[in-house]
Amino acid sequence: MSLHKARIKAFQDVLEQDVIDIVQLQRLAFNGIPDEKGLRSIVWKILLHYVPHEKNTREATLQKKRQLYQQFIDEIIVTPGGPTDHPLNISPDSSWSTYFKDNEVLLQIDKDVRRLCPEISFFQSATEFPCEKVVNSNGMKRLHKRVEQSMLTYATLERRGLGVSKLSSEIRRSDSVSSGDYAPLNEGCEAHWEVVERMLFLYAKLNPGQSYVQGMNEIIGPIYHTFAIDADKENRQHAEADCFFCFTNLMAEIRDFFIRTLDETESGINYMMGKLSHCLRKNDADVWGRLEAQELRPQYYSFRWLTLLLSQEFSLPDVERIWDSLFADDNRFSFLIYICCAMILLVRDNLLSGDFASNVKLLQNFPPMDVSLILNKAVEISNV
Amino acid sequence: MAKKTYDLLFKLLLIGDSGVGKTCILFRFSDNHFTTTFISTIGIDFKIKTVELRGKKIKLQIWDTAGQERFHTITTSYYRGAMGIMLVYDITNEKTFDDIVKWLRNIDEHANEDVEKMILGNKCDMEEKRVVSKERGEAIAREHGIRFMETSAKANINIDRAFSELAEAILDKTSGREADADHARIAVERRPSRAPPARACCS
Ligand SMILES: Nc1nc2c(ncn2[C@@H]2O[C@H](COP(=O)(O)OP(=O)(O)OP(=O)(O)O)[C@@H](O)[C@H]2O)c(=O)[nH]1
Ligand SMILES: [Mg+2]
Repeated sequence: MSLHKARIKAFQDVLEQDVIDIVQLQRLAFNGIPDEKGLRSIVWKILLHYVPHEKNTREATLQKKRQLYQQFIDEIIVTPGGPTDHPLNISPDSSWSTYFKDNEVLLQIDKDVRRLCPEISFFQSATEFPCEKVVNSNGMKRLHKRVEQSMLTYATLERRGLGVSKLSSEIRRSDSVSSGDYAPLNEGCEAHWEVVERMLFLYAKLNPGQSYVQGMNEIIGPIYHTFAIDADKENRQHAEADCFFCFTNLMAEIRDFFIRTLDETESGINYMMGKLSHCLRKNDADVWGRLEAQELRPQYYSFRWLTLLLSQEFSLPDVERIWDSLFADDNRFSFLIYICCAMILLVRDNLLSGDFASNVKLLQNFPPMDVSLILNKAVEISNV
Repeated sequence: MAKKTYDLLFKLLLIGDSGVGKTCILFRFSDNHFTTTFISTIGIDFKIKTVELRGKKIKLQIWDTAGQERFHTITTSYYRGAMGIMLVYDITNEKTFDDIVKWLRNIDEHANEDVEKMILGNKCDMEEKRVVSKERGEAIAREHGIRFMETSAKANINIDRAFSELAEAILDKTSGREADADHARIAVERRPSRAPPARACCS
């Protein structure tokens, strides 16, 4: 049996256990999950605490969650017939004002999902499993349509002389949706980016304190991609629901990175950047000193690295490989720090000879590199 | 000491709401190219371009910031060292124009008092979708005593001009300051905030 086949077998054996030996699964996943047989998909679901360790409860849990997700769609997207009270009702909780606020969030999501992973065609292609209630609604329930729709409603109002300038400016807010290749598909079809848009909107609605922050699209993207190309048809069919909950669980761990008021707290992004700086100093005082001397602050590069779990620094397959290790590590975000530190160490010679500008550029556009090199280095650092 | 490849170094900053086209403007300027598929900027991005003005080689160090509110703590920390700020709105989007006032307030709070500013109304290739007239753009610029231009990153309208005018305005202020690269850099990075015209240290 080839090494590769043996690895697949090892994963399958663990997954067959009545109660998964999570330590063993973590150990396997840490070294990378094979792309075949939907392994990454199921293992991520377990590591992200979505699928239970007990084999006999798995089916029921999935079923329950998937139903719950349908309910979210019904309640938040399908049923609302649009605002009911008068558009000029200015009370802050009038349904129109909620509608406006939602549309603003939607607009930001819309802009971002259309810019998701442009280097691959996946997100622009049609999903096999569109949300029937949405795609067969004459466009009425499509989120991006809804933004356009509300513009029309208001344009009409304005023409009838009801509009006040405040309202007319609200309409225009939503006017610059660019389409390009990320054009919506026809009735009955739905592109993957539309699915991502729906998940992010539901997340924003269900987590009003946090709503949507740019970058969340980059977190949900790789998860959804992994689930949507699962080898198993039924899993693919429920990729959206499964992804929604896994994303929610992952966000529970990293959401503080996305909240400005928490920047300075122990779970916030500044603290993480400080940890990285500390780690670098400990492992390579020369490079650390060089960057300090150049006043090349960690925010210049590591803010994005850490907030997005490196998803913008590497190609999608490499991101997925890195996330195998991240999700497998109990101490998830310590390992993230080690990876980031490893990245810097691997270009240390360039950094030591480069000036400020070329160093910022190098770190902001990290050169393509075999990820296993980076991960091995990270492990090495974690052991000192 | 390494051979100088430029005479002066100017640090510029691009700010404005998300989606107005800051990254596209910068990309057009630095790489003379336009693509519709930029990922949204998270945090801050950086580009360098050297231009020649009045016989001087000027290295522009340009920071492209993220527009969304969440990133403001990160991005405002860059205001301080900036010598020029381009404030961008989208002529097809009213809100981005309304927010200009908010951005100007940000500049007042966080940037050096003598920073050169310029307002850009971007996407002027989309005439059919225009909702902010050029006159309104000019008016707000006049009101605040700031330079103004309509641009299109897509159709390459006024992009180079905007950067050279801003650079020229900074050059006017700095003239007299002499050309030591490292010296210039330190002056840029360490210029104290709110200090009255900080020229003294360099002349
Ligand atoms: N028609 C037209 N579209 C433009 C122009 N400049 C930018 N765009 C489009 O506007 C969208 C947003 O552009 P970006 O440059 O990414 O916007 P940004 O201001 O950097 O946004 P953030 O990074 O989110 O703050 C892109 O999809 C571009 O295609 C322009 O001059 N004309
Ligand atoms: Mg940008």
